[in-house]
Amino acid sequence: MNTNYLFLTIFLAVAIIFPLIPLAIAWAWARLFSPPKPGHEKLASYECGIDSTGPAQVQFQSHYYLYALVFLVFDVETIFLMPFAAAFLKLEFSAFLTLMVFLLLLVEGLVWAWAKGILAWK
Amino acid sequence: MTPSFPIEFCVLFLGVVLLLADAFFPDMDKRKLAHIALVWLGGFLVATFFLRPALLWASPAGFYLADPLGIFFKQFALVATMLTLVLAIEYAPVVERAIPGSKPGAGLGEFFILPVFTCAGLMWMASAADFIMIFCALELVTISFYIQVAYLRKCPASLEAGTKFLILGALSTGFLVYGITWIYGLSGQTGLSAIAGAFAGIPAIPQSSQTALLFGLGLVLVALGFKVAAAPFQFWVPDVYHGAPTPVTAFLSVGSKAAGFVVLMRVLGPFLTVPEIETRVITVLQVLAGITLIYGNLAAMPQTNLKRLLGYSSIAHAGYLLMGVASVGSPLAGRAIVFYLVGYLLMTFLAFLILIPVAKAAGGDDIAHFNGLGRRSPGLALAMLLAMLSLAGLPFTVGFLGKFFIFEAAMQEQQYFLVAIGVVTVACGFYYYLKVVRAMYWQPVPVDAAPVEFSPLGRFAAAFLAALILIVGIFPKPILDILP
Repeated sequence: MNTNYLFLTIFLAVAIIFPLIPLAIAWAWARLFSPPKPGHEKLASYECGIDSTGPAQVQFQSHYYLYALVFLVFDVETIFLMPFAAAFLKLEFSAFLTLMVFLLLLVEGLVWAWAKGILAWK
Repeated sequence: MTPSFPIEFCVLFLGVVLLLADAFFPDMDKRKLAHIALVWLGGFLVATFFLRPALLWASPAGFYLADPLGIFFKQFALVATMLTLVLAIEYAPVVERAIPGSKPGAGLGEFFILPVFTCAGLMWMASAADFIMIFCALELVTISFYIQVAYLRKCPASLEAGTKFLILGALSTGFLVYGITWIYGLSGQTGLSAIAGAFAGIPAIPQSSQTALLFGLGLVLVALGFKVAAAPFQFWVPDVYHGAPTPVTAFLSVGSKAAGFVVLMRVLGPFLTVPEIETRVITVLQVLAGITLIYGNLAAMPQTNLKRLLGYSSIAHAGYLLMGVASVGSPLAGRAIVFYLVGYLLMTFLAFLILIPVAKAAGGDDIAHFNGLGRRSPGLALAMLLAMLSLAGLPFTVGFLGKFFIFEAAMQEQQYFLVAIGVVTVACGFYYYLKVVRAMYWQPVPVDAAPVEFSPLGRFAAAFLAALILIVGIFPKPILDILP
């Protein structure tokens, strides 16, 4: 019991110290060999390129969320198709039928969105 | 797996076909969709009477249970959905005004189609015998309700209601899932009969496991308490009922509550077989019922808006139903709960059905908008009178018999204190339900009163509901015989 906890304590200590060593070395290296010299160019968002203008928080079209929602159709389809394909030869016919019904329902969502004109960019 | 006649899939398929029809024929009159849905749902309703438990799909894993209770609540869900569609057709002009589109009737299609999906969820819930199945069905119902509650998305009240319902609903779902994991962790099962089997094998459950099990069951009770609008999980009810479109409010108050109580009765089954747990669960249910009765009835008294009043009344009715669940040891309790739910469906839908045309003519749904309805349109006022008297529980209406059976079951279980609270709160109920009657018959007609228009379909549905309230209230045997 006690040896187990000793082992855990050592493990914890090593887990804390081990990542600290490279961090300390990196900090010391930066301190010794590259002292900070901030300037206009260095503090710009992009060191090379055009200076950025205007505030960063602007309003933009949120039409994207509809595309993200419709993308879920394909996403969910992949997740379910992958294990289905892996086990395809061992499955009964009813499993095949069930999955086809499921795919039909998903595709129906896409068809509905398409027919409603959601995919047309306005 | 033997495919025979999974009727829920038919309902789901109907919804999908209607959605596609709505998308591919944008110029059709969307009310036609509602009429088609009504006819098909009526067909499914007739079909359910020919279902025998053996004919239904019974999976060996015990996911799906087609007992008489399940079949009865499938019929209940179908009737509730059909009535919701009738209400939705009445309510269509309000939706059209609230959702300005390029075409007339834009956005109306989904308003008629979403209840069909809710119906499929309610029907699965009636037969769910496994926590996984219960969760999936509950989510199908709840998610379609989120959309319906926030349907008038340009109207701030509806949006507020939708947001409140979404946040609190998601929270309660979290409670449900967490509770299920505790129960699964202790029994290793998610099927309700399998859980009962897991407990039956052990002679005495150790104290620590009992505590953990009660914790899990408590979390599940919190989630179901939210669904059935029991205090202290009722804070969402008045605002959501007030802000949601009226047909959705009616559907929410009847469908969600009925499904919640079916699941509650099924979930409690395996736990009540263990005597140490049974006594504590019954105590919790008694406390919940008492608080719900007192809160619902007292808070309803000062209300001036009819939708809010019916929201608080929905809390009060959840209290009477919980009283029935707390008396579940009595052989009468199951029947009493089912009968009460049937009565609740009839009178709630009648009240909301009358509210829609009156609110349309008067421009609001306050009780004051009912002023002088008895002289303006005596037929509607008579139907509303019947609904209110039945909600209050006057003899010769279905509301009286419902309360009577619940009290009978509670008396058999010797819950005298709870019955005393029940009787006192019924008296409170008379005060606030009769406020509406007073407005209709003893208040002068407003000078600028517009004539109340009511469609023939609505008239027929109102007459049908009013007749059933009286018939079942005098002759309850057919409903009582449905359950063995």
